[in-house]
Amino acid sequence: MGEFLALQRGRLHVHILPTSQFRTRHLSLKLARPLTREHVTPTAIIPYLWPDGTSRLPSPLEFARYCDEQFGAAVRTNSGKRGPLQLAEVYASIPEESRSDEAKGVFENIVDLCLELVTDPMHDDHGFNPEFVKREKSLHQKRIASLTDDKIAYAMEQCTLHVCRGLPEGLPRLGYEEDIEGLTPQSLWTTYEQFLAESEVYLYVVGDIKQPDDVGQRLLDQFEKHLPEFRGSGEKTLIQPIPARKRNNGDPDFIVEREKVQQGKLNLGFKTGVSYGDEDYPALLVANGILGGFPHSKLFRNVREKASLAYYASSRLDGLSGLVAIQTGIEPGVMEQAREIILEQVEAMRKGDVTAEELTLTQGALTNQYKQVMDQPVSSLEIHFSGTLCGIDRDVETLMNNMNRVTVDDVVRVSDKLVLDTVYFLSSQEGETHGN
Amino acid sequence: METNTFPMGESVYQERLPNGLQVVLLPKPGFAQTFVTFSTHYGSIDRVFRTSASKDYTTVPDGIAHFLEHKMFESEAGDVFPEFSRYGASANAFTTFDLTSYLFSCTDNLHENLDLLLNFVQDPYFTDANVEKEKGIIGQEIQMYNDNPDARVFYELLKALYHEHPVRIEIAGTVESISHITKETLYECYDTFYHPGNMVLMAVGGFDPETVMGWIKDNQGKKTFKPIPVIDRKAFSEPPTVYAPEVTVNLAVSQPKCLIAWKDAVNEMSGPELLRRELALGVALDALFGRSSSAYQELIDEGLIDQGFSWEFERAETYGFAVIGGNTPDPRRLTDRVQQVIDEALQNGIGEAEFERCRKKALGRFLTTLDSPGYIARGYISYLFRGAQLLDTSTVLGEITVDEANREFRAYFDPSRRAVSIVRS
Repeated sequence: MGEFLALQRGRLHVHILPTSQFRTRHLSLKLARPLTREHVTPTAIIPYLWPDGTSRLPSPLEFARYCDEQFGAAVRTNSGKRGPLQLAEVYASIPEESRSDEAKGVFENIVDLCLELVTDPMHDDHGFNPEFVKREKSLHQKRIASLTDDKIAYAMEQCTLHVCRGLPEGLPRLGYEEDIEGLTPQSLWTTYEQFLAESEVYLYVVGDIKQPDDVGQRLLDQFEKHLPEFRGSGEKTLIQPIPARKRNNGDPDFIVEREKVQQGKLNLGFKTGVSYGDEDYPALLVANGILGGFPHSKLFRNVREKASLAYYASSRLDGLSGLVAIQTGIEPGVMEQAREIILEQVEAMRKGDVTAEELTLTQGALTNQYKQVMDQPVSSLEIHFSGTLCGIDRDVETLMNNMNRVTVDDVVRVSDKLVLDTVYFLSSQEGETHGN
Repeated sequence: METNTFPMGESVYQERLPNGLQVVLLPKPGFAQTFVTFSTHYGSIDRVFRTSASKDYTTVPDGIAHFLEHKMFESEAGDVFPEFSRYGASANAFTTFDLTSYLFSCTDNLHENLDLLLNFVQDPYFTDANVEKEKGIIGQEIQMYNDNPDARVFYELLKALYHEHPVRIEIAGTVESISHITKETLYECYDTFYHPGNMVLMAVGGFDPETVMGWIKDNQGKKTFKPIPVIDRKAFSEPPTVYAPEVTVNLAVSQPKCLIAWKDAVNEMSGPELLRRELALGVALDALFGRSSSAYQELIDEGLIDQGFSWEFERAETYGFAVIGGNTPDPRRLTDRVQQVIDEALQNGIGEAEFERCRKKALGRFLTTLDSPGYIARGYISYLFRGAQLLDTSTVLGEITVDEANREFRAYFDPSRRAVSIVRS
């Protein structure tokens, strides 16, 4: 697989990865604008209103049937968040037309459709269609409420949002339930027009594109014609990591929430101040891997294999905000023991208790992960997009090389940047859980 | 080595080795990764069995196939996972109702990783201590699923559908049932079901089939095995009716979850027939309840469902069911409305235009899955143990007609075989 061809005109960014490896073309359209408390909820609903209909296909049913007729092209929309940015996204996967006669012309049709969804949604003189607004308000309320159903994901999200409190990163991706009631077809239309005018627009295509330059220019022309004039700040907002200042009183926040669960979900959130663009990023990537990225990692070996306390125990790095989040599921009564073992592992890394073997195994495992990305069109474009948002034009190859040059000393140095901010515990309703 | 080329261009290389191991290789030119699965036709439902060596049937503790899967990753030298990391591979395993699969994916050192996989699965090492230790870990895995509403509503559904069939028992068992597992019972299951003659090795990805087949033969040629045991799984006496028409469990959820299901009246089924039924009824259900159906849009407008509403059709050798459902504020009304759609279709048939649209969509979606070596490897094995061929999907989708689907549909959706499972707070 080759590299992305990048074209830009003003706020429009087109990235094309020509490859004949797949039977499916992938397309992703992303509109991004800074997150704010005021706009987060109405903006989050917009992408879910899009598939309810366009001027040409004025109902959800007509939209869904049109997609099915495009040889089963899958088109979905999503409300997203990357660091301090709010995103409205459209994803489409389209059977590769060069491989099947039945699929001829499907790609063009879906490009047109995606553009239509975003720039010409169904509306009247007063705004969005009131019936669709009613329907989507109700669905959005359920969408937010149902975030509590998956306890593992819920606990992780609560921990992360608390670490980012007071920052745009600390606003929930879907917004707030209490904002929904007051939204009207008119107010949502105003939000939509503003969002469209103020967003940076990214279009990604991965697939068997024969003349990527020509196709890219054509896409730029087509989008330029339909998007309103840019009214954003014009400042290129590149994502910066959340700073990791040592906490004044030294102690992390400890939050216990009680729910009807059989298993407690323990999460620890750390700031590092290191993100994608940072020189130390490859070292942090490796450090996170040694700590909890794999079955050979410290957390898995000590929390699960040695102490037999958990089924899962891992850590995850958010490269955009520079947060490391640890998660595990345990018997509610052993919370303190689990927390102690986890913190011992972080401490061990700071003290240099990292073997050459742990380093090599982690570099091998990470290399494999990155190489596999080349077989995964959607992951490829997401990684490229994250880099773009941080102002980094670094291909996966370079990142792998840098990562493989990381030494034990680098790992120790970067581990010292981990500042524990929040311990979050979702516990059962019975029994006591002691704090610090 | 036998070669078969399928209509979408995939070539499959197959051979049964002298020790009985079946090897299936599917090269994907241009792919960096190779995905390998080493699977035994042994899952959670295989709980009462005997071999030619024993007269009586043995009943083993619930959850033992899954427990065995966990324990295989320990060798006398220690944990096996780091060995895969050493060769840049990511390893895992999973247990279903009817199979257990060990797998890795890698982009380098395919030969070393293949040897690792074959060697660790063919070298069990269980001790009293390492068996005890695993009970805590699996206990937490069971608790994790107990907290998961999607898992709970599904397992409760199977309990409602089936009287006797062990598909009604959770794959991982319960904290109580796994407490009875010992190293002796693990060895007994291992010796019965992990003979190469009961197993399939499958590789999908960017490799040369001749070379890889050579490596596998070398590895297996150096080992000796006992003769292939004849496995006799005790037959199930499952009546056609459901065990309970409706079950409810309480869990902390934002709104109720409701699954409505029909069990297959046919107990035994395998081979091409099974794939055909799955595809015909799958397209039929998509036509009735998919995003582009009138029913889906109406149910959304009535506030009875959200975008998580979906359907699923499953057909294995000894059981099968169709499921429809998702989140709903009103399980009873949703059940009535779904039944109403089914009744209309039973009376008037599924329309040809709807069926054709969904048939083409299914074909397009199937093509997309062929871009994922992991998906192919898992799906292929699952069908292979059921006597069917995953890669025939496009051919069968090309053949099925609305008349056939309507015939199947009418025979399937009988009210006496319906059960409803609800999770609410």
